Amino acid sequence: MKKQIFLLPLLSIASALIGAGPARAIEVAFEPDHSLPLVTLNVAARVGAAHDPAGKHGITNFTGEMLLRGTRKLSKAKFDEALDRLGASLSVETRAESMIVRGSVLSSQLKPFLDLLKQALVEPAFREEEHAKLKSEVVSAILQTRDSDKALGGEKFAEFLFNGHGYGNPIEGSLADVQKLTPAAVREHYGRMIVDDSLLVVGTGDAPVADIQAWATELAAARPRQEKFPPFEPVAAPAENTERRLEIVDKPGRTQTQVFIGQRGLLLTDPNFFPTYLANQAFGGGSFSAKLMVEIRVKRGWSYGASSFMRHGLQPRSWQMYFFPAAKDAAGALALGLQLAEDAKKNGLTREEFDLAKESLINSAGFMYDTPKKRVENLLLEKTLRLPEGFMKTYAAELDKVSYSRANEAFQSFLKPDAFAITVLATAKDLKAPLAEAAKVPLEKVQVVPFNR
Amino acid sequence: MTAAPPPPTSTPLTGTHVVQRFTLANGLRLLVVEDHSSPTFAYQTWFRVGSRDEVAGKTGLAHLFEHMMFKGTTNHPEGELDRILESNGAEGENAFTSWDYTAYVQELPKAKLDLIAGLESDRMVNLIVDEKSFRTELEVVQNERRFRNENNPDGMLFQNLYETAYQEHSYHWPVIGYQTDLDAMHAPDAVDFYKSYYAPNHATVVVAGDVNAADVLSVVENHYGGLKAQPAPLRTIARERLPASPRRKHVKVRVETERLLVGYPIPPLVHDEYPALSLAETVLSGGKSSRLYRALVSTQIASSVGASALDGKDPQLFLVEVTLQKGKSAEAAEKIVLSEIAKLAAQPIGAAELERARNQLEYSFYERLDSNSERASFLGKFEALTDNFAIGIEQFNRAKEITPAQIQKAVAKYLKPSVRTTVTGASR
Repeated sequence: MKKQIFLLPLLSIASALIGAGPARAIEVAFEPDHSLPLVTLNVAARVGAAHDPAGKHGITNFTGEMLLRGTRKLSKAKFDEALDRLGASLSVETRAESMIVRGSVLSSQLKPFLDLLKQALVEPAFREEEHAKLKSEVVSAILQTRDSDKALGGEKFAEFLFNGHGYGNPIEGSLADVQKLTPAAVREHYGRMIVDDSLLVVGTGDAPVADIQAWATELAAARPRQEKFPPFEPVAAPAENTERRLEIVDKPGRTQTQVFIGQRGLLLTDPNFFPTYLANQAFGGGSFSAKLMVEIRVKRGWSYGASSFMRHGLQPRSWQMYFFPAAKDAAGALALGLQLAEDAKKNGLTREEFDLAKESLINSAGFMYDTPKKRVENLLLEKTLRLPEGFMKTYAAELDKVSYSRANEAFQSFLKPDAFAITVLATAKDLKAPLAEAAKVPLEKVQVVPFNR
Repeated sequence: MTAAPPPPTSTPLTGTHVVQRFTLANGLRLLVVEDHSSPTFAYQTWFRVGSRDEVAGKTGLAHLFEHMMFKGTTNHPEGELDRILESNGAEGENAFTSWDYTAYVQELPKAKLDLIAGLESDRMVNLIVDEKSFRTELEVVQNERRFRNENNPDGMLFQNLYETAYQEHSYHWPVIGYQTDLDAMHAPDAVDFYKSYYAPNHATVVVAGDVNAADVLSVVENHYGGLKAQPAPLRTIARERLPASPRRKHVKVRVETERLLVGYPIPPLVHDEYPALSLAETVLSGGKSSRLYRALVSTQIASSVGASALDGKDPQLFLVEVTLQKGKSAEAAEKIVLSEIAKLAAQPIGAAELERARNQLEYSFYERLDSNSERASFLGKFEALTDNFAIGIEQFNRAKEITPAQIQKAVAKYLKPSVRTTVTGASR
């Protein structure tokens, strides 16, 4: 039987807590899938790390984590015990513009699981003892990011590229900010996060739609009305860079480097998005036939991976290249990556590159939504980025309309190699001069930041 | 005289999914799971060879050879395999090597079954390995090694744990190999390896998705039926003896917070007591109410803890991994780990803990079967490790019936402090 996705309209529900009043809305989408006795449920708030105020970076993630550390009825220990006993899991994923509580459970245990999830969302306890414990865990997690060159390099690159804009905020925050977070600040942030119209329930699994809908209705009604805190300002568009910049994240003893090169990206709804996306597929879209992969990995063996990709938001976010050559090849690989981008800007793609990328993307587009879980992820993206409904299913048709000249025109006007932000995690004393030369950035303008700051 | 291949079998997996198993005359195994919910299928080829089959001095060859499988064949020049797959809408084209197996995986639109069977059967026997492409790929692998181990403190500690825990068996060396061994390799090494291990009788093809099992059999017969079986290579894999006393090693690595790894030798996946150890894993670290989480994370000593009964063709390790919080020591954490394991060995778990462990195990089992590619991976892995995918289902069913006394007995028998290997990592 063909599966159907049920998109429920906004529900108007009178609040059980505060009596009659303006409509309490919640958006619910649930796709029944009875192939396995499992249920996956995500509850998203349309607030993310990009909304973290200056001096409180990490507060959205921290608040999300606090939801899972005890409710008014249950201590953290009792909450954990109840959840684990069901064989269920709950976790928090914070993105730039959303925070998602992700849950999964055996369908036989759905009812008690939904009760726990509701408690976590609308009756969190925010106990001071748990606040202190979480702070200690998050501080350790931030420190541990420094142990992973890839994670640290990626985080530093986002900060460098966005230069003070919220899209550069580290998800877990900074050590200084997290250490200063107070329980009162977290409670206030919660009040601003879990507000009317901000919540979205998306899931799939072995459960009747009506049960999920009924639960979501209860959730909407039970949600505390938070009127005393001001809502979040929408994230503004980040500025474009005006000149090429190079930052070296200096970490001693590196035999391998992490190279990130990028610029401001495009909105998914930009008329140039699909032509640019197609052209990027040929340039570095992750396949073994993409130019970046062929030149850096296949021909020279300089990096295990080499790719270029876009990250999306409610505002134009980023386009970036990423590869990780040995220290001995770092300058050569950086120069080559930049040269390839400059060539793409000047000359565009060849017809053969365009044809392969187009055929590949159109023929594989079905894999973007071939399982219920992927469809759930698509919906989360569509709803949190306020995209047109069904946007993720339009790729094949939209790509089919893109002509060779249109792809080149869009990609060539999009790329701004002269204004690239470049972050290289490397040992600066060995590589500062060669990297500056490769990047064509004056040595005195190269920014060197210690890895542990 | 060659023995006749076993007859086809049909085995229920979960829900409406059924595994159909065929064996070709040349020994190639074929597993098919039909699922018509989307017009796609996963196609995976699992070779029963991994770093376990290497010899000292040639470490990393199984993995390096995996990379070579994406080069040219006598029918398709280098780069063509990728281009054909990409233009035909392949998704998730990838490969991976472990201690015990090497797998090649991808998903495709339903009409592409004949295409992928043709390409995979071609590279099973017609690969061209020349020195130039071998040297380039060697450089790629050296970069992968730098990424996974040399510049990755956790990878480096894991390598040290296995080097310390295994003194005789080939699990001693890292799957990715040692730099010096890799640098000394040449194309003929890869050719020898290819001839020894890449043949239909050393492989299982798994197809899961919108296919008809009879059609799959026909297509696979057509493309692979003419390939010749190769004799099984002689392998002299040393048996690891239990340590006479605890082993430990401290590794100075650049980390902001200390790390602790503790490994205990456990029996292989097929062993009767393996399911009890799977449940012990859940009791110790499954969820935030688990024993090690409460003893280490809730007390602000560690930021994370995990336990896992690693599955292998040969005896593997029951691994406990702890990432400490700032200022806490790995040595102090080790004492707590030993104490919690001792409690589990001394007293049976209660009803609530058993229920939790069983529910978590059940959830994990179903989660591993949640898509065409996951179903194919489950089957391919168990077939490679145990020669019979059905053992994966049987072990799950047995785990559901395990009693507290059986868990206690297995923990007492295998997780003894005297046989453990401890590796600590810190910048001191």
